[in-house]
Amino acid sequence: MGHEPNRGSIVTHLGDRATDVVSGMLKPEEREVVRGDLTESGEKGVQALRDVLGLVVGRQAALWREWRPWAILVGLIIPLGMLLSILSRVKAGGSAAYLWLYANNWDWTLLKSAGFWFVLRQSATKVFISYLTLACWSWAAGFVLGSASRRRLAGMSVLLLCVMLLCGELAAPLYLSLYRQHLFRVFGNPPVVPASYVDISALTFYRVILPLILQMTLVAAPALWGLLHGAQSGRLTPQGRRWLCSIAMASLILMALQVPGSGIFLIPLRLWVTPFLHSWVLQLAAYWPIAYLISNPISRGWRRIASPA
Amino acid sequence: MLGEFEYVMLTAAARLGDEAYGAAIREEIDKATGRRCSLGALYTTLDRLEEKGLIKTRMGDPTPQRGGRPKRMVRVTAKGVQAAKDFYTAVTRVSRGVSWDMNRIADR
Repeated sequence: MGHEPNRGSIVTHLGDRATDVVSGMLKPEEREVVRGDLTESGEKGVQALRDVLGLVVGRQAALWREWRPWAILVGLIIPLGMLLSILSRVKAGGSAAYLWLYANNWDWTLLKSAGFWFVLRQSATKVFISYLTLACWSWAAGFVLGSASRRRLAGMSVLLLCVMLLCGELAAPLYLSLYRQHLFRVFGNPPVVPASYVDISALTFYRVILPLILQMTLVAAPALWGLLHGAQSGRLTPQGRRWLCSIAMASLILMALQVPGSGIFLIPLRLWVTPFLHSWVLQLAAYWPIAYLISNPISRGWRRIASPA
Repeated sequence: MLGEFEYVMLTAAARLGDEAYGAAIREEIDKATGRRCSLGALYTTLDRLEEKGLIKTRMGDPTPQRGGRPKRMVRVTAKGVQAAKDFYTAVTRVSRGVSWDMNRIADR
């Protein structure tokens, strides 16, 4: 019984914190007014949270009365969520072999072998580059989405996460399985799978958990980060914004071409792009988010120095 | 024609006069109707009324009892007064000669 007031105050405190977070989804002017109303009326905890949540849901729903968010959902969120989920599965499958090789077949005597270190360096570099590329693509996808939907950031973030979760767990595995069946139909012979691959895919960690970890850390998190940067791209000059969106779109087209089976849908594009696909300049284009993230604070610092208050 | 809740809000704002703002209107509605008015209903209705040109809103000064946060002040426009008057007239006219005594209706 003595714990009741304490529990009540914890719930109120949590409700207040959640209210602060949820009210952050309102426009700054309205947020201040609403927080002021709650302070004045003494409304707290779960009651305040329910009230603010109702307003936020109403505001977000009102934004969907226009055609633009629907176009963004169909034209950007679903295709990008699907492509990134497929690539995340492919990368997880690719790196699983290396991880399995070292984690499940560890032998301390290997440390003495020079060949082991050479192969380890090579495989680690390969896995690192493949993970970095995936994170950069996800960031670029988020950036494009953020710059296309600056007013609906909260709703778009939630939708992007939902689409990624659905695609990552259902649509991407289904697509890859259909693609394998298509290859079997076209080429006749079932693909020869090494015995070690069968062992790897039998393990729950490599089949379920590793793809989920990659989906969360290398797809969802960078995409949300890119989304925030994209939403702030309004501060850039129109020319700068156009330039950045063009690079982002180019890197996303290249990303789409890396998806297994993309040739089936993108034959004309593939014919045009293939000669350039392996050029190092285009390979580097995938990593433009790194250049952007480094150069952005530097250029802001320069601007601050150049125009002292 | 106004909706019922729009009329209630216009009436509350008119009654409060220069002191009409979000929290005060909400309190006025709570008192008059005996039902809680949610923040969502309050602000979406205020927006709708402003879109129709029935009220005008502006940001007021921050006050200490609001934690230094501003109010959204509301003023009923001439068009708003006319719309409320029309609604009231219509409701009065349509209600003329009708008694809402439960026993009398149930006896028929």
